[in-house]
Amino acid sequence: MFRYVSRRLLIGLGMLVALTVLTFILLQLTPGDPIDAYVDPNVSMSQAELDALRARLGLDRALPMQYLAWLGQAIQGNLGYSLQRQSEPVLGLIVARLGPTLLLMGTGLAVAIVVGISAGIISAVRSNTAADYSLSVVALLGISSPAFLTALLGLYVFSVRLKWLPSGGMLTPAASFSVADLVQHLILPAVLLSIGHAAMIMRYMRSSLLEVLNQDYVRTARAKGVREFWVITKHAVRNALLPVVTLIGSTIGLAIGGAIFIESVFNWPGMGLLLVNAVEVRDYPVIMAATLVVGAFVIVVNILTDLTYLVIDPRIKVS
Amino acid sequence: MKFDKTVKAFAIVAALLGATTLASSAQDVSAISGGFDVGPGGFQGNFNPLAATSGFTWLSNYLEPLVIYDAKLESIVGALASSYTVSPDQLTYTFNLADAAWHDGEAFTSADVKFTLGLAQNDKTGSVFAARLGSIAAIDTPDDKTVVITLSAPSAGFLDALTKVMQLPEHALTSVPAEELAKSAWWSTTPIGTGPFKFVKYETDQYVELAANPDYRLGKPAVDQLINRYFENPAAAISALRAGEIQFTYVDSNDVATFAGDAAFQVIEGQSYVTNYIGFNNELDLWKDVRVRQAIMHAINRDAIIESLYGGAARPANCGYVSEQLVPEGINPYGYDPEKARQLLAEAGWDQINGDKPITILTYYGTPLAANVLAAIQAMLAEVGVNIVPRVVDTPAYNAIVYADPLKPEEFPLVYAGLQNGPEPSNINIGLNEAQIPPAGSNFLHVRTPELTAALDAAMAELDPAARNGKYAEVCRVMNETLPWGTMWVASRYGVASSSLTDFVWTPAPAGGPFAAHPEAWKISK
Repeated sequence: MFRYVSRRLLIGLGMLVALTVLTFILLQLTPGDPIDAYVDPNVSMSQAELDALRARLGLDRALPMQYLAWLGQAIQGNLGYSLQRQSEPVLGLIVARLGPTLLLMGTGLAVAIVVGISAGIISAVRSNTAADYSLSVVALLGISSPAFLTALLGLYVFSVRLKWLPSGGMLTPAASFSVADLVQHLILPAVLLSIGHAAMIMRYMRSSLLEVLNQDYVRTARAKGVREFWVITKHAVRNALLPVVTLIGSTIGLAIGGAIFIESVFNWPGMGLLLVNAVEVRDYPVIMAATLVVGAFVIVVNILTDLTYLVIDPRIKVS
Repeated sequence: MKFDKTVKAFAIVAALLGATTLASSAQDVSAISGGFDVGPGGFQGNFNPLAATSGFTWLSNYLEPLVIYDAKLESIVGALASSYTVSPDQLTYTFNLADAAWHDGEAFTSADVKFTLGLAQNDKTGSVFAARLGSIAAIDTPDDKTVVITLSAPSAGFLDALTKVMQLPEHALTSVPAEELAKSAWWSTTPIGTGPFKFVKYETDQYVELAANPDYRLGKPAVDQLINRYFENPAAAISALRAGEIQFTYVDSNDVATFAGDAAFQVIEGQSYVTNYIGFNNELDLWKDVRVRQAIMHAINRDAIIESLYGGAARPANCGYVSEQLVPEGINPYGYDPEKARQLLAEAGWDQINGDKPITILTYYGTPLAANVLAAIQAMLAEVGVNIVPRVVDTPAYNAIVYADPLKPEEFPLVYAGLQNGPEPSNINIGLNEAQIPPAGSNFLHVRTPELTAALDAAMAELDPAARNGKYAEVCRVMNETLPWGTMWVASRYGVASSSLTDFVWTPAPAGGPFAAHPEAWKISK
């Protein structure tokens, strides 16, 4: 097990370096640089002023030198300063965004997992009934609805019209911190975020459980007189979880990248928005660092997902 | 047993959810909250005024310049300078400083002004003003309340540049090396200004909190707090405004109609001071014949576009300016006349020049409004035989293309762009003067019109304020005649404020101003 995990981590490290090289190359191929983004074209600066700014930020050095300088500093934990917000270290920006991202995505995924698995079980156990059809329609709507549409609708209904929940942000500005305030701001974006994920999980759970419920060992358990509740929860669900765990694992891995639309509509300070904004203004240090963090998280979560299989299904061995 | 535990867990969650809806977030102090960095005049997360190209609306709540535009952007008045005089030769500016104090109690003196201008002239600090203040030859401080600035040559835009140089405390920053100033955490943690509000807190990418400065020289502010909330999405800002969480935000012209007639809100309209134009790449033979450029102007029904797409919220521009004092009588209005356009194109031999080959029109305007405008222009030009194809890129890509070295003019034969034309009329010089062809300036279309260059030079050299308008009117006349650009319009910009605000002043100024908004007088009724 230890050797397996160590080997996976080593491979992951190599992948991260390759990822940063690829990202750097793609950034250089993209038209425009941070200086081109610096100034509103409606309010012109002279090219000489822009060139001076470019030199001061080290953007006039040879490309390999720029990358190696960045890599050398990154290994030491120094991810540089944002080119757009020059007084903000990149590490501080990322750390400030990681917590809110994990909170939002974690809560959204937790809601999605609970709701999705529960709905999937109900739908499979009561297949071809009104309950099954209703849940399937709701799931289809959840999968089909674009994230920005559900976000804007939810914002309009619950915040603007009903005024039940805040319209955005993480906390009430200038108010003392309270968990209740945080939860109040978290509910709407987290629930809206969970809709698409819950729908997917529900569909996977339903089809996987339907397959398991037709297996011989389930028939045997019923024949032995085991109560239906325990047949489902103890015998069938656990065996039906494997594909769902795979789905959840891949979702968690990508979750660190944030949910751009939800973050944009609710002004939630997450990684997704940070990365998108950094790309818009060609903030190279932020893009490189954010890509590195997201890549590392995906690799770690994939390893953890594989290890979870061992817990769920003892037949799976690490070779 | 397990069922009981499950029920208890659900009960706790339900109680928590119920409690959150009752959780009070009410503030016991009076506070005005707004999306002050929403829209084109904002610059979210930027706190270094030396590196700011916009966002001055917010910065001027706790930092102040020596001089500032009035709220109508018509004249430059004193701010930290209680008065100023300019010598007849326009070389010596004498500023008498106001009796002001920094937020930490230290007195504001002429030493601070000299220190600040030194920082602004030094590009190592991240300053974007170095070139604009390049004409400063000497700064003298005969006493604590007087600053005398001597220029090496008259500069028409000097006072305009000074309106954006926020005064900084020498005692707080003198120990910070110039090259480390841009990266200093001071700007976003403990900045010190002289303004009506003091910096309290910056919550990363969420909001900035200011508290009233009770010792402000013009009086204690009427409200206790001023909060600038950040919004990535203008729709989110509008939602927050409608939900009552903020009292002000910038809105696009598309959204203004939804607030019309609503007594709970007041719509504030103002000129954008940005001339939108179709730019002709002068390095290409396509546009050499003025009849072709005239045909473009006659082919586009600007009045119809303004009426249907801008909702009437724009003024047609027949040169770089729309302000009455800068537009002379008798210039060509280039009315919509597609028949005349076809005739002009035929006379110029358009079929031999280009015919119906597609011509790329490059733009950085990515809004739905801009897309509709370009679609309309495309259809109108197609009717007269000019086939344009819009290409929308983001700002960095746009700048990379138009400033590419070596230049590739075939990549941008046309542009749809905008340039600030005020409140200082010399702002357009950088985009039209032959001497401003890159790398010197921003004349990326390589406009080489000797008559226009001469008119611009004459206007910028005019020392008599009373004669300046006449010189810029001449610039307008030449632009109208020679058409270096196909000037389209100057659109209005909008802000919406809650009706609970009184004495609230906001102007959609380019770069966010600054302008004399007097935030100490803003009030909010509960």
